[in-house]
Amino acid sequence: MTKRKLVIALAGNANVGKSVIFNYLTGLHQHIGNWPGKTVERAEGTLHFKGYTIDIIDLPGIYSLSTYSLEELISRKYIAVERPEVVINVVDASVLERNLFFTLQLIELETPMIIALNQMDIAKRKGIEIDTEKLEKLLGIPVIPTVAIKGIGIFQLLEKAVEIIEKGPMTKRVEVKYGEEVEEGIAKVTKMVEGLQFWYPPRYVAIKLLEGDEEIATEVSRIDPQIVSTAEKLANEIENLHGHSCSTVITSERYEVAGCIAREAQKLVSPIKPTMEERLHTLTTHKIIGYPIMAFSLLLMFYSIFTFGDYTSELLSNFFYGWEPLFASLFGTGIVGKLVWGGIVEGVIAGVTIALPYIVPFYVILYFLEDSGYLSRIAFLMDTAMHKIGLHGKAFIPVMLGYGCNVPACLGCRIMETERERLLAAFVTTLVPCAARTVIILGLVGQFMGIQWALMLYVIDLLIIFALGRLAFRTLPGEPTALIMEMHDYRLPHLKTVLKQTWFRLAEFIKIAFPLIIVGSLAIKLAEVFVLLELVATMLSPVTVVWLGLPAITGITLIFGVLRKELTLIMLATLLGTTNFSKVLTPDQMVVFTLMTMFYIPCIATIAALVREFGWKKALFITIFEIVFAISLGGVALRLLTLTPH
Amino acid sequence: METRRETGRAEIPLTTLREGETGVVTSIKAGRGGGWVRGWGFEKRLMDLGLTPGTKVTVVKSAPFHGPLEILVRGSRLALGRGMAERIFVEIEKE
Repeated sequence: MTKRKLVIALAGNANVGKSVIFNYLTGLHQHIGNWPGKTVERAEGTLHFKGYTIDIIDLPGIYSLSTYSLEELISRKYIAVERPEVVINVVDASVLERNLFFTLQLIELETPMIIALNQMDIAKRKGIEIDTEKLEKLLGIPVIPTVAIKGIGIFQLLEKAVEIIEKGPMTKRVEVKYGEEVEEGIAKVTKMVEGLQFWYPPRYVAIKLLEGDEEIATEVSRIDPQIVSTAEKLANEIENLHGHSCSTVITSERYEVAGCIAREAQKLVSPIKPTMEERLHTLTTHKIIGYPIMAFSLLLMFYSIFTFGDYTSELLSNFFYGWEPLFASLFGTGIVGKLVWGGIVEGVIAGVTIALPYIVPFYVILYFLEDSGYLSRIAFLMDTAMHKIGLHGKAFIPVMLGYGCNVPACLGCRIMETERERLLAAFVTTLVPCAARTVIILGLVGQFMGIQWALMLYVIDLLIIFALGRLAFRTLPGEPTALIMEMHDYRLPHLKTVLKQTWFRLAEFIKIAFPLIIVGSLAIKLAEVFVLLELVATMLSPVTVVWLGLPAITGITLIFGVLRKELTLIMLATLLGTTNFSKVLTPDQMVVFTLMTMFYIPCIATIAALVREFGWKKALFITIFEIVFAISLGGVALRLLTLTPH
Repeated sequence: METRRETGRAEIPLTTLREGETGVVTSIKAGRGGGWVRGWGFEKRLMDLGLTPGTKVTVVKSAPFHGPLEILVRGSRLALGRGMAERIFVEIEKE
């Protein structure tokens, strides 16, 4: 037979080690993008095996194939419409029953598939023994035991996948049989849909119509609305009979089948003493001890990132600025030279000296925490606090990210369930003082007024986040969601996967932020060369001088700050010709200036991230809102400060 | 679609279980009239995670300050916001 291109999809619950398997299979040949027009990630990679070129698609981690989330809908459509040659269903051996619930749905979709029974080591430690052969017989699907994190079973998995593609399924699969009434309903509807040309199998369509699946109901009613109304009638009959909605009945019965298979295939030998993971879990979610542990971990994390970042950032910037004479000799010191160096090269330097020293370690630690399972514990502990601003515990993760950099924080809001939640969380994260703003708070107020004033600004920031978060939560239409989250067992993260995730995030950051930072620097440099900056400063003076009581020159620095917030301070030093700010600014001015830089606008890269995630309109709205808000806040603060003697 | 049949047995919200207690899910009261639960299908999500009627649920702990519950269901550990846990009804298992 001729060798050809194959497509294999990885599907399964979240946190089952799918991405580790994906990394083992595809190595460096990966591409991570988005599903067309969606903010759901699509990871794709290629490998060569037995003469085949195999495309591996890593589908999002999901618990079901309903259509309540974008991820579920995308996965289902992909499997049904694009028809990968085989689906590798990655199953967490330590939570077999719930994972099989998903497996059964894949079976109902009539997908060619094999199972990777992963995390066999964790299952064993939890006292769960699984008879792989028995499971294979019960399901009628090949089952390959794997410990992905150690690379065990990956080769066999690939071999089996190719074998299935070449020879076709060898065994008859389990049929998911429902109760009598449900089966009658399914049979009736199946007969009606059998003739239709549809990408889902008839029995599947029938089941989903009875479950009240909106996507399928819409599609079918376009062809024949009669079928949908019949299904609804049947569903109502079943509901009256069982006392639960038909969808509930079907889900329960499907879980019943999963439970039966799981009970038959696994043997529980309860471990005598609680495992290390168990004890760690108890400690880190403890009512009292959990919080200091969290505070300590986060402080340690930020401390190490900032220490590492400061050191590396300076090293890098010294290195890059060493090239200035070379550029000066190449392009001269005239307009061209100024534009090339000050516009383009400095833009790149700006990006590099933020991205590499701060964002890389930030992501490494973050993914480490996520993979290990600690992030979900933090979300658990912070749920109540986040509810105060209408979000739930998971939103604490992007907020925390925001303290490093707002760009990844905005992108990180994807973990929220609904569009409304994502926007709310993103808005809140833009108010979080990122590393650059921390530089200003500490470097200006902390340095010249004392650390207590700097801390006070942080407290004010928290209060403002709280107030504006609540305001946004009340204004935005829609309903809040609540925390539903799995806390998987603690485990050692897979270093390579962590590094790879970091790499892709970094690439994403560069793609979003760099072009704008460079264009922005160029524009400002042009303005500088043509002596437009003073003009702008004068134009802004009614706001900066009259309303905010700042020197007119701050107008210029605030414009530079749009590129990178810490430039406001750097430019201030350059323009005022001193780094001893106490000589040129009064304490009141320092506070007002710092407050301004904290809130006056999301930096250009953050705006880009907002545009990408939410579109122009919403990004513009947030930007304008923050400009207006910061100016009002600064003016009010000034008047309050002058009232109080100090 | 409302089905609140009185069964005569004591149905109590999951949040009233003490830490360490186990109950059997009887129903999830989504509420009618397009309340906050309709928009994002929280009932379906809970079902998909295994909280179907008849399933045993153990409350492991509840976070302080009216925080979320940690529950064990079908061998997995879940965190559930309290507002939602209040809508899950259980009856306590007799030993």
